[in-house]
Amino acid sequence: MLKNEVSQIFFLLAISVFLAFFYNYFSPSGIALFGQWEKSKGVVSPNAKNEVIDNSIEINDPNLMKKIVEKKGEIILDVRNKDSYDEGHVPGALSFPLFEFDDVIEKLLELTVPVSPIVVYCSSIECSDSHTFAQRLNDMGFSNVNVYAGGYREWEEMGYEIENNEN
Amino acid sequence: MRLKTTKIDKLKITEILISIILGLTFIFASYHKIIDPAKFAKVIYGYAIFPDFAINVLAIIIPFIELVTGISLILRIYTKSALSIINMFLISFILVIAFNLLRGHEFECGCFSFGNDNQVSSAVSLLIRDILLLTAGVSLWVRQNKF
Repeated sequence: MLKNEVSQIFFLLAISVFLAFFYNYFSPSGIALFGQWEKSKGVVSPNAKNEVIDNSIEINDPNLMKKIVEKKGEIILDVRNKDSYDEGHVPGALSFPLFEFDDVIEKLLELTVPVSPIVVYCSSIECSDSHTFAQRLNDMGFSNVNVYAGGYREWEEMGYEIENNEN
Repeated sequence: MRLKTTKIDKLKITEILISIILGLTFIFASYHKIIDPAKFAKVIYGYAIFPDFAINVLAIIIPFIELVTGISLILRIYTKSALSIINMFLISFILVIAFNLLRGHEFECGCFSFGNDNQVSSAVSLLIRDILLLTAGVSLWVRQNKF
């Protein structure tokens, strides 16, 4: 038995650290030692084993997003909840809340075919809902899905045109 | 003499009860963080205090320190040392929450569950709760010196 309080503290901390890394290594929900927290590189993420975020499909430039919106050639999906969408959204964007995915997906299949370019966004560069949505579209065979990394917050901060459904 | 013994017994029982409550609080608080470290990492990121390279390591380690010290406190193994760590943790939580409240930075606590709304009021209540827990922790720590 350890008599000295400092060695006891060290012992408790050592056990905790050992268990923590051991569990994290084997757990399917474990995370990497370092996350991606640099906003300039895209949507931030803890780099978990079951990560949905794929920075390579992101549009991380508000000007480019503005051009896409103005061209009106791509389907833009707002995956935030309906209330947020009604308060304000990117012009032309359609409301497809992530939490109603199973209900809204039929509507999307009526609107378009899986090869059409689609851009998905959520509230900000700190949310991963757009990636979750994009991942689920990919799983269904949609092959041209991109994520607007900055999300609605960046669009609003840039002072770009906003559409809303409020009276 | 008999009266004195009874008083000491009562104090001892109270001390054990408070230890169990504090220990269970720490074990309970660690559970959802262990289950979903990715969400906890995002919560730590949301506090906007820690450097990027430390966020994931903290998210991996903190819940297990809570779990081990909570168990240690309940089983009364290295009680005083566990209390020292618990109190240091509570002081750190209080400082971090108070700092963010003072600078008006909105954040999610992530203490017992993820996804709380109304963050400012919950931050105040959790600050009060942590101060109460710290009071209990410090009293227990002081009493360890007496027995």
